[in-house]
Amino acid sequence: MSPAMIKLTLMEFKLFTRNFINMFFLLVFPSLMLLLFGGIFGNEPEALYGGYGVIDISVPAYAGMVISITGLMSLPLTICEYREKKILKRFQATPLSPVYVIISQISVNLLMTIAGMLLLFLVGRLVFNLRFMGSFLPVAAVFLFSTLSIFSVGFLIAGLAPNMRAATAIANLVYFPMLFLTGATIPMELMPALMQKIAAVLPVTHVVRAMKAIWLGEAAEVLFPSLLVLGGVLLVCSYLSLKLFRWE
Amino acid sequence: MIRVDSLTVNYGELRAVDNVSFTVSEGEIFGLVGPNGAGKTSTVECIEGLRRAYSGTVRVLGLDPWKDRQELYGLVGVQLQDTAYQERVRVFEICELFASLYRRPTPYDELLKMMQLTAKKRDFIANLSGGQRQKLSIVLALIPNPRVLFLDELTTGLDPHARHRMWELLLQLKKRGLTIVLVSHYMDEVEAVCDRVAMMNCGRIVSSGTIGEVVGRFALPTMISFRSPVEHLGSFENLAGITSVQRKHNLITLCGNGDKAVAALLRHLEENEIEYTGLAVKPPDLEAVFLELAGTAPAADSLEGVK
Ligand SMILES: Nc1ncnc2c1ncn2[C@@H]1O[C@H](COP(=O)(O)OP(=O)(O)OP(=O)(O)O)[C@@H](O)[C@H]1O
Ligand SMILES: [Mg+2]
Repeated sequence: MSPAMIKLTLMEFKLFTRNFINMFFLLVFPSLMLLLFGGIFGNEPEALYGGYGVIDISVPAYAGMVISITGLMSLPLTICEYREKKILKRFQATPLSPVYVIISQISVNLLMTIAGMLLLFLVGRLVFNLRFMGSFLPVAAVFLFSTLSIFSVGFLIAGLAPNMRAATAIANLVYFPMLFLTGATIPMELMPALMQKIAAVLPVTHVVRAMKAIWLGEAAEVLFPSLLVLGGVLLVCSYLSLKLFRWE
Repeated sequence: MIRVDSLTVNYGELRAVDNVSFTVSEGEIFGLVGPNGAGKTSTVECIEGLRRAYSGTVRVLGLDPWKDRQELYGLVGVQLQDTAYQERVRVFEICELFASLYRRPTPYDELLKMMQLTAKKRDFIANLSGGQRQKLSIVLALIPNPRVLFLDELTTGLDPHARHRMWELLLQLKKRGLTIVLVSHYMDEVEAVCDRVAMMNCGRIVSSGTIGEVVGRFALPTMISFRSPVEHLGSFENLAGITSVQRKHNLITLCGNGDKAVAALLRHLEENEIEYTGLAVKPPDLEAVFLELAGTAPAADSLEGVK
């Protein structure tokens, strides 16, 4: 990393923290939801949740919420904004290739996603005595893999959207269903069977499933189909967004 | 320093730049003028290596701007026609970032001071006025301590005082050996700072050279105007060198060929004891050439550049 790269990444980091929507939905909203559900239901084991408490299944499920805000909102909207305002083009006329602007965007969003997840974990742990059945490395690996997969969806949005306004519309259209229909906010177990079937086409559903499975130490049969879907999403979306990508 | 040879730029079907050639020598301020959509920005972007030429060759400091971009970008400063910067960045933060990109940057405090932005150093870009953003854009173009500077519509949005300071600055930079390519819609600006100009229309260079050469080539009339209650204009029309006479209320405007027409008119006024006030003589200038050219452009083409 060159000093310029570090400066750029620090600046992008500051910009992220100055974006109220990002900060609220990444750091405040998930913990707020956790406190709400935990406050109402406690974290006592229940048959409905496979013998776990509502917090135990919510924390891994909320990974979907955390990853969605960075991957489906922050990342595509920033890239579209930079393209529309010709910021990428402006960097093209400096010794620092605009590729690094994109790389620093990915890094910042990745770091912030991890921070959001850690915060959630801490709140669960400190307030509700969260149970954690998995082990650290596999959980971290599934989390990172999920993040990259959803980021690739974000890149596809950035590539598809002709301008900022369209990007905002698409991002909202993708983000909110992913937030509420996938179990990333409202536990899947509470939804009708039909809804659960429909939800299976949304990538974030598989983030939620994979994270829950690895978190609760469930059998590999639950985990692998979802990982496969996420891998497919990653491949297809990366390929398409590379094809569609425009600097201006 | 800069050599452009038969440059052609296409956007799909549209030929935005058509077989354009010119050179800019070291330490020169070169102006590129022309109506909206003439192809100025497209030309400059090819020289900056931001756009790929359809055909033709471009050399800047001996480099091919498309192939040797990485090397070139350490040596040039660029102000694009319509870049915005991130709204929630503070002025000094973006200056620091740009300074870190170059090997020997100009201290940005100096530049901010010169552009009267020192008080805004800690402000968000979102809170700058339009002209202040334009100034910031110029600061960022100067941070590289460049050998060649590209300015696309440099003083658009600046107040008259700021524009005059900009011109002074450009002339100062020129003294230090900087080569500058300036795209402008302000003919007074071009006349004030440019050594040579190229006038573009519909993708082609229609005239180039020093301002005197360009203006001279078009053989435009000198405009002479004065106020007078005189009734009959017929006697003016017959004067040597006068080609047309017009009147609006008591303002009379004559077109004529150069100083001879002026002399003839003055003699006529004197001899016939015609009362007059506010006599003004306006020799042809770049603005007149521009208006002449823009007037002859096909209407569709002159509308296209407005995005
Ligand atoms: N990215 C683009 N895609 C398609 N057409 C373009 C593009 N950029 C410019 N053009 C077209 O090319 C022509 C020349 O545009 P250019 O921006 O070079 O003009 P200009 O001389 O800089 O005009 P202005 O004074 O308005 O800035 C215009 O007709 C414009 O519509
Ligand atoms: Mg232009």
